[in-house]
Amino acid sequence: MKKTILTLAFLFVMGTLSFGQVNDSFMSNCLANTGDNTKYLKDFRVQLGKAIVPGELRYRANMSLWKNTRYRFTMCNEENSGGQLIITIKDDSHKLVLSSFDKKTGKLYSHIDFECRKSGIYQINYDFINGQQGSGVGFVSMIK
Amino acid sequence: MKERLLVILLLVSLGFSCRNSKTKTSEFAFSKTDSIPASEAEKLSPEAIADISKNISSPLEIANLLQILQVPFSQDYLAGMTQNNNQSTDFDKALKLGILGADLGYLNMYEKTGSSLEVLSSIRKIAGEIEVGQFFDFETLKRLSKNKSNLDSLLFLSIDSYNKIDGYLRSNDRGQLSALMIIGVWIEGQYLATQVVKRFPNKMLSDRIGEQKIILNDLLLLISPYCNKNPEVASLCRDMQAIKDKYRDIRITYTPGDPISVEKDGGLTIKQTETSVVTMSEEQLTNIIETTRDIRDRLILNK
Repeated sequence: MKKTILTLAFLFVMGTLSFGQVNDSFMSNCLANTGDNTKYLKDFRVQLGKAIVPGELRYRANMSLWKNTRYRFTMCNEENSGGQLIITIKDDSHKLVLSSFDKKTGKLYSHIDFECRKSGIYQINYDFINGQQGSGVGFVSMIK
Repeated sequence: MKERLLVILLLVSLGFSCRNSKTKTSEFAFSKTDSIPASEAEKLSPEAIADISKNISSPLEIANLLQILQVPFSQDYLAGMTQNNNQSTDFDKALKLGILGADLGYLNMYEKTGSSLEVLSSIRKIAGEIEVGQFFDFETLKRLSKNKSNLDSLLFLSIDSYNKIDGYLRSNDRGQLSALMIIGVWIEGQYLATQVVKRFPNKMLSDRIGEQKIILNDLLLLISPYCNKNPEVASLCRDMQAIKDKYRDIRITYTPGDPISVEKDGGLTIKQTETSVVTMSEEQLTNIIETTRDIRDRLILNK
């Protein structure tokens, strides 16, 4: 009995540790992909189940973006995700400012640069393509 | 004759409406009430508060702008180490934790690793005193500070530590300390920007100071639920309201325009053509500089 408990405890600890390591290396690999000419600013960790009906991007956050700043939005998804992580940004009047997914051509961008000319609070939206399940991270960096 | 007049009038009115639609500007304004009622702030969901705290301007963006403008680094803007001061209450400690966080961001951006190690040790001391030291991986931060090639990892780890503290405090009924920490970060970033613009006047920087009007309401929303619960916080609320008052007549207008997409080397760049314009007089800027300095100096000296 003691052996079983010890084995279970060991497996639990190892499982937790290895998950932590995988997660950390995923984050650092993605951070390394943001480019040499950038500086880290913020990140959004996205974990979503499969959408019942694909539609509006489900992960939403607000972020202030400032005039005369060049931002880079980089998206990475973990291997077990059903699709690629995408981003859209809307301004305070809900007007679409940018999207990393071109619906017309089906083209996806893993990063997108934004030259901001209007300071304000923007709505940042993330989802996995076609409302798939997945986990990933969206990094926001400043371009030097 | 009448018909001709009508046609002219119609053309003139059409001309006006077309011009209006192309150059229609809008303006950012505070809500009409002077202060935010605590009851309104208390209605905010934990998610909304988390969103606000993540949304507040990062001092890294101020430091980045200073670098773009080639403003030289100066130690004079920093708050100083904790051994020279005495943070007696949790209020002082949480605020100072925020202030030092902003200083750390400024030092890291300018890669002043020697000084950032000193700030780190002060942060470690204060974080331990309010029982959030576990969220800082000081050894890794120290190692990264010594290795200039890891700037991005250093920035990431520093900000991540602050985000974890913020989340932990809010989910453990210590939201007041989280709000104080965030206000500390903002005040120090604002102090840095205002002190630099005083020494190196620059339109881009003064615009950034003026644009802080956009997030002032959110800052007040964060602290409002605690304004009547503690005399120290009440005093800070009055200070924040004083800053807001200095911003009241600053105008931020928006000129519309559609974003332009440029595809280059497989990457996509979006250039915004919509712009924000700040209208702020020298006197208004001076008032903001002085009010910010008075409040920030009082806070770091615990007066």
